[in-house]
Amino acid sequence: MKNRIDTHQYCELPDLGAEISFQFNGKRIQAYTTDTITSAFIASGQTLLSRSFKYHRPRGAYDIYGQGHESLVTTNHEPNLLADRTRVQNGMVVKSQNAWPSLEFDIGEINDTIVPMLPNGFYYKMFHKPKWVWPIAEQQIRKAAGLGKIDTEGRNADRRYEKRYRFPDVCIIGGGPSGLAAALAAVEEGKQVLLLDDNSEPGGHSLHSIAEVANCKNENLNGLPEYQAIQKLIDELAEFPNLEVLVNSNVFGLYEDNLIAAQCGPDLFKIRADSVLLAPGATDRHLVFENNDRPGIMTARGVERLIMRHAVLPGENVVVVTTHDGGFHTALLMQGAGAKIIAVVDGRETGNDEGVFEKKIRDLAIPVYKGLTAHAAHGRKRIESVEVGPITGGDSLKSFDCDLLVMAVGFKPQINLLSMGNKPPKWDAERQILRVSELPSGVFSAGEVHGSAGFARLYAEGFQSGKEAALSETSPGKVYTFKTERTAEEIITALPADIESGGKHHFICKCMDVTRTEAQASIDEGYDQVESLKRYSSMGMGPCQGKACHEAVARLAAQDTGLSKLDAVATTVRPPFTGATFGVLAGRAPHLSPIRRTPLHHCHIDLGVKFLDAGQWKRPDSYTDPQIEAGFVRNGLGMIDVSTLGKIEISGPEVIKFLHFLLPGKYAKFEVGRTRYSIMIGEDGILFEDGTISHIEQGIYYLTTTTGNQDAINSLFQWWLLVEDFDVQVKNLSLTNAAVNVTGTTAREFLQKLVDIDMSNEAFPYMHCRKATIADVPVSFYRIGFTGELGYEIHFPAEYGESMWNYLLAEGEEFDLKPFGVETQRILRLEKGHLLPGTDTDALSSPYETGVGFAIKDDKDDFVGKAFLKHFKERGIENKLVPYQLETDAPIPDDGVAVLDNGKIAGRVTSSRLSPTLKRGIGLAWVRNDMSETGSRFSIRLANGEDVQATVLDHAAYDPEGTRLKS
Amino acid sequence: MSYQLNCPNCGKRAVSEFTFRSEYLKRPAPDADFSVWADYVYFRENNMGHQTEWWYHRSGCQSWFLAERDTTNNTDHKSFWYHELEKNSSKN
Repeated sequence: MKNRIDTHQYCELPDLGAEISFQFNGKRIQAYTTDTITSAFIASGQTLLSRSFKYHRPRGAYDIYGQGHESLVTTNHEPNLLADRTRVQNGMVVKSQNAWPSLEFDIGEINDTIVPMLPNGFYYKMFHKPKWVWPIAEQQIRKAAGLGKIDTEGRNADRRYEKRYRFPDVCIIGGGPSGLAAALAAVEEGKQVLLLDDNSEPGGHSLHSIAEVANCKNENLNGLPEYQAIQKLIDELAEFPNLEVLVNSNVFGLYEDNLIAAQCGPDLFKIRADSVLLAPGATDRHLVFENNDRPGIMTARGVERLIMRHAVLPGENVVVVTTHDGGFHTALLMQGAGAKIIAVVDGRETGNDEGVFEKKIRDLAIPVYKGLTAHAAHGRKRIESVEVGPITGGDSLKSFDCDLLVMAVGFKPQINLLSMGNKPPKWDAERQILRVSELPSGVFSAGEVHGSAGFARLYAEGFQSGKEAALSETSPGKVYTFKTERTAEEIITALPADIESGGKHHFICKCMDVTRTEAQASIDEGYDQVESLKRYSSMGMGPCQGKACHEAVARLAAQDTGLSKLDAVATTVRPPFTGATFGVLAGRAPHLSPIRRTPLHHCHIDLGVKFLDAGQWKRPDSYTDPQIEAGFVRNGLGMIDVSTLGKIEISGPEVIKFLHFLLPGKYAKFEVGRTRYSIMIGEDGILFEDGTISHIEQGIYYLTTTTGNQDAINSLFQWWLLVEDFDVQVKNLSLTNAAVNVTGTTAREFLQKLVDIDMSNEAFPYMHCRKATIADVPVSFYRIGFTGELGYEIHFPAEYGESMWNYLLAEGEEFDLKPFGVETQRILRLEKGHLLPGTDTDALSSPYETGVGFAIKDDKDDFVGKAFLKHFKERGIENKLVPYQLETDAPIPDDGVAVLDNGKIAGRVTSSRLSPTLKRGIGLAWVRNDMSETGSRFSIRLANGEDVQATVLDHAAYDPEGTRLKS
Repeated sequence: MSYQLNCPNCGKRAVSEFTFRSEYLKRPAPDADFSVWADYVYFRENNMGHQTEWWYHRSGCQSWFLAERDTTNNTDHKSFWYHELEKNSSKN
């Protein structure tokens, strides 16, 4: 491990754990268990980690924090993981992305040499005409530009994604000095506190600082170097049982009413907190200059993290570019680890108060250059030298040979969670950062995100905010209140957003490969507002979603469109802050949407059923082949589970008044023992539901609804009971009762064997209902004809579900009773021309046009939908739902295809099946009224463009007279 | 949409537990003009600010209730039963 150090002059190095190894692009790499992919990769002496999106430029590790695109890799076939954050595991297989044939030699790099030929919108302009070019070009472009490839072989398909929930009093995001101090304040108030950190351990940047803590309110910490002080603070917090700490948790969204979404491995945490405290900190500012994307250019905090958390020294000959004392701290850490510091280039003029670390660097006789900054980097796969010059650009003054350029040019607060489409960030001239100072109710913030610096101050702000968050019942819109004077050390003047030193490779957005030149060209083309500029040039729209370039985009857009610095507008910040995988967002379906099983579920499984998802319900689709099952019913005896029907019992003094109001029928003369087809329509006059209603006992009515409307109709009735005040009782028996339909020519003969009531056609005619017992179980029979054969719906208490089903099957053996499923039933009902609301109707289906006008008795006072029904009646019939049949051997159209009249669309097919009884295609279709006469013919356009001829039927394809039902 | 709604029965719950029906509207008289009925069925105020709405606690106690909600921020609202409408409908 080439770049690993075993001692450091100024600090203790951490315990790295056991030695392991993994593969990177087929090469074996040694590592320790505490390593990330990046740290082990750099320790092994390598630099080139990935290729850029558009130009395939070589890229190396940059911030060791995974904010950019550089560290995206494919690990064990899972694409787009952050190498900077992913811990290595023994035997792990890591691959780089977006490079072909290899990372070292990538043919796509040719794009880089023809940069001037690939301006923004190049593809769209170039491949615009002729029309056929684009689909071909798009394929090639997509191949060349891209990220990781999804593993289509599903090698990670068995991963379990879970949703987890937390309801803390205070949720703190960020585990640096401010976040930890806030946690201490809140737990001391006795609150339940949840602290989330995106790294593998809390501590933030203090973990890699050797600055001595002074003047901290927590006196135990004074005098210690920060990395020890923070550990002491973490140890102090471990005493509190009311604190939960979640590490490796990426908070990607903060939503209304303090809902926090965080990804933690394969888990999605949904956190609802009374108060939220945001202490996300800041990262090193992104500086734009010539070749600012070259491997070997790294952020100061990235370098510090490598040294102090992983004992890795990423370079030997180092140039540090800085504008504050932090850069000197980094230089000292590198020197202490054995690197040669070629120069520290400080953008500040001489005369500022010399900081603690600057003094130390000068004492070591390391050359320091004032008033200069980086102008250009040279070297391709790794920098070889850097030119420096005035911060205002122009000609460079000096050149240094080096293999590492460290950037410490100020901080960029991680404002994303503070803004989240709510309050936009503004440029704060005093603090020289983009800031969000106004927060929604219940949200607090502290620390570096406001430009604060220094352990003692971060601690103090965090503690105070934590206390406020803990004590607030409900707070008004929270304004940042820390008004303390900034010390000179804390004010870090921002360098110009772009160091204008010539050259065409000043990358503003590294993820999407957008340079300053390209941004200016886009502005010249008229995209001169920051939001449109972003969309046209795609700056800030890559994997990092602007985390790196947000500030540079805002400042340069302002500069290049002639706005003042103060008018720099940032683009809107929206969730997600970090990438969340689809698996995490989807979760495991069974946890989130309940599966509803009928009381007969396991009987179906025993019979080898194929299930159909009907909403949340599992219903039997078929047991064998629906075409064959239909024959069981037509020629023998079949049984289907219809337990999913809604079943509502209505009774009470005003039951007739209630029924007359809610249903379009009339029920005053509806005798006990009768059953009727019933429909429901809305106030808009549209048919939305059908079923049956039975008068089962004097004053007690039993209504069945479709499966899909089971819950909706019950809640609708509850609503009407509230607003109209009927004296009735509505009992939802949907889950109390199971139900089967026994149907076929021998149904009567079979059931007569089981009951002691008279089942004859005279005693129990079609559309009647009866009560009886089967094997001592109370049941009710409804003689209806959905399938077109003699049939009895049997409703019985759900607890007898399985035994009743099995009893009926056993007793029915001599009649060859066979189970059938929903798909079979759909074929059978279609042969009868029965419609399914929602399948054959939609939100425009008037009941008159649908053909169920017979169920409406509109000579009633007032009922739901009356006004619109009257209007529909006056308007007349424009279209009609009609049953049709095709010629024998004609292909079966798909549901939903168009009906044509003289080549013009004149309607649509809503249900289409092969009729096993008639051996030809049948269906229901909406057609113009003038096409709806029995015997009329129309064409149906198949998906393949061919037409088939259909003939309108009178009523049903099968047994139009209904003699089979009625006898 | 991640706000919480106050069910008069169950207290503050995530809005995903509820079903929205509509703004609170008075049903027209049976003999009202057809245009009045058309407005009732198809037109909504969609106020920017406070409005009273019907909500159903679908995944909870399955009660219907009314909520007066500030549509601009979703957070400032009060909930009540239908029979309490009169004493709560000051602002509408």
